[in-house]
Amino acid sequence: MLLEVKGASVAYNKVVAMRQVSMQVPEGGIVTIIGANGAGKTSTLRAISGLVRLFAGEIHFGGRRIDGLPPEKIVAAGIAHVPEGRRVFPQMTVEENLRTGAFLRRDRQEIETDLEKVFARFPRLKERRRQLASTMSGGEQQMLAIGRALMAKPRLLLLDEPSMGLAPVIVEEIARIIKEIAAGGVPVILVEQNAELALSLADYAYVLETGNLALEGRASELHENEHVRRAYLGI
Amino acid sequence: MLELLAQTALNATYAASYIALVAVGLVLIFGVMGVINFAHGELFMLGAYAVVALYADLQLNFMMAVMVGLAFVGCVGLLMERALFRPLRDNPLGGLVASIGFLLILQALVVMGFGVRMEHIPPVTQEVIAFSDRVRFPLSRLYVVVAAVVLLTALWLFLKRTRFGWALRASAQDPEAAALQGISINQTARIAMFIGAGLAGVAGALTAPLVSVNPLMGHSVIVTAFIVIIVGGIGSLEGAVVAAVAYAFVHTIVTTFYDGVIADIVGLSLMLLVLIVKPHGLFGTAERA
Ligand SMILES: Nc1ncnc2c1ncn2[C@@H]1O[C@H](COP(=O)(O)OP(=O)(O)OP(=O)(O)O)[C@@H](O)[C@H]1O
Ligand SMILES: [Mg+2]
Repeated sequence: MLLEVKGASVAYNKVVAMRQVSMQVPEGGIVTIIGANGAGKTSTLRAISGLVRLFAGEIHFGGRRIDGLPPEKIVAAGIAHVPEGRRVFPQMTVEENLRTGAFLRRDRQEIETDLEKVFARFPRLKERRRQLASTMSGGEQQMLAIGRALMAKPRLLLLDEPSMGLAPVIVEEIARIIKEIAAGGVPVILVEQNAELALSLADYAYVLETGNLALEGRASELHENEHVRRAYLGI
Repeated sequence: MLELLAQTALNATYAASYIALVAVGLVLIFGVMGVINFAHGELFMLGAYAVVALYADLQLNFMMAVMVGLAFVGCVGLLMERALFRPLRDNPLGGLVASIGFLLILQALVVMGFGVRMEHIPPVTQEVIAFSDRVRFPLSRLYVVVAAVVLLTALWLFLKRTRFGWALRASAQDPEAAALQGISINQTARIAMFIGAGLAGVAGALTAPLVSVNPLMGHSVIVTAFIVIIVGGIGSLEGAVVAAVAYAFVHTIVTTFYDGVIADIVGLSLMLLVLIVKPHGLFGTAERA
């Protein structure tokens, strides 16, 4: 397993947001975490990337224990996190945002190659490379946030609600890109409230309910699960 | 009349130069770390005392004393980051209060070391550039202007062109998103604190022979602190730098034509105006997380 979360628990000011969550992410493919508002999806990703500390449990990445490390060490280990709400740097240009994603890399030539790859994947970013990120549309900012994460050359990509607030056509485009990224060899953890989308993209799925792991299984099986259908797919 | 104007412009340029150095350091620290460094005026004062100790007392070369002043005060900044601001990182008010305490300590230390008297510092040069009979600019003031231009240009290039400059800008815009790019908050805080304190120190050192040096000389910086931070806003470091330099010019021009009190009033009015029209500051965009 590339990533193993073992009994991880997170609390904010003594209020528990995530209780004894365990997950496994293999070396390839897409794993999704679905759940309602406040279920603890974002907290799970933040725990993995070191933005919040665990009060119990462990996280291992590539055989190495990473919980307790500061975020920059976890990025260096190969985890890139596209946060909820995109969080691009508003007063930096598109190109500056992308290059900031490569902050820890020293392989100058490969950075240029990767920048061209990101531009090839997101032609709209190339057209707007000198534009300030704050002046971009929501969909473009999401693409920029994903592009920025790819510039880190990650071994694992965390995506927190990439479809949030976007028009259906853009969501389709983002979905296609997520599939391409995974097919290109970078495993993805996809957090979504849009369960239909998430289950259609993912290989394996976890369902969080008020901080607890409620269900897990192959995405195609969960898609047919009675409880999931009623609670998350509105069927 | 023209001559008066020319002379005023020269005086304003000189004053704006060192105020800009102080103000820019302040906005840099605020932008990256989110704390208002109330001890900033005392860092300026420490820079002046570095010149008292090294140039006036030990008779070292003036430029040397200024360089040491920059490095020394920069290191005091590093100390503040480690001892005060880092433990209080999630508590901006705590950082402010701690910096007030630190300001008093610095003042007390300087009083213990040098006494409360006004320091006499021998002039670096007596030469005056005479444009005409009534338009004259002392060379020692020109040094300050040149140093400020060089340092601020260097800072600008650092922010725009270098990897760590980008890291500083990114942390100022969104510290958490910056951390997710592998940027260490401790590291950007250290860099901001060293540069910010160093600029205050170098401003104090450069002007030491031209102003009255005493342990309380840092006081007047506090009003400036508030105004530039609010006008500069949060979000864009480059914007804050531009606002700080612009404020320095407005303030000194009003001071030379009227007086310092009016200039503070003008500054505060500008601040209110900016708050009404653009609540996040002239160049600010996002709320700090
Ligand atoms: N910084 C914080 N301080 C206090 N409580 C928090 C904080 N962040 C999250 N929480 C709480 O932790 C719980 C889990 O939140 P989390 O953001 O992980 O949920 P989520 O599944 O991502 O929800 P959403 O779908 O709305 O994004 C919620 O009850 C939330 O109120
Ligand atoms: Mg969330």
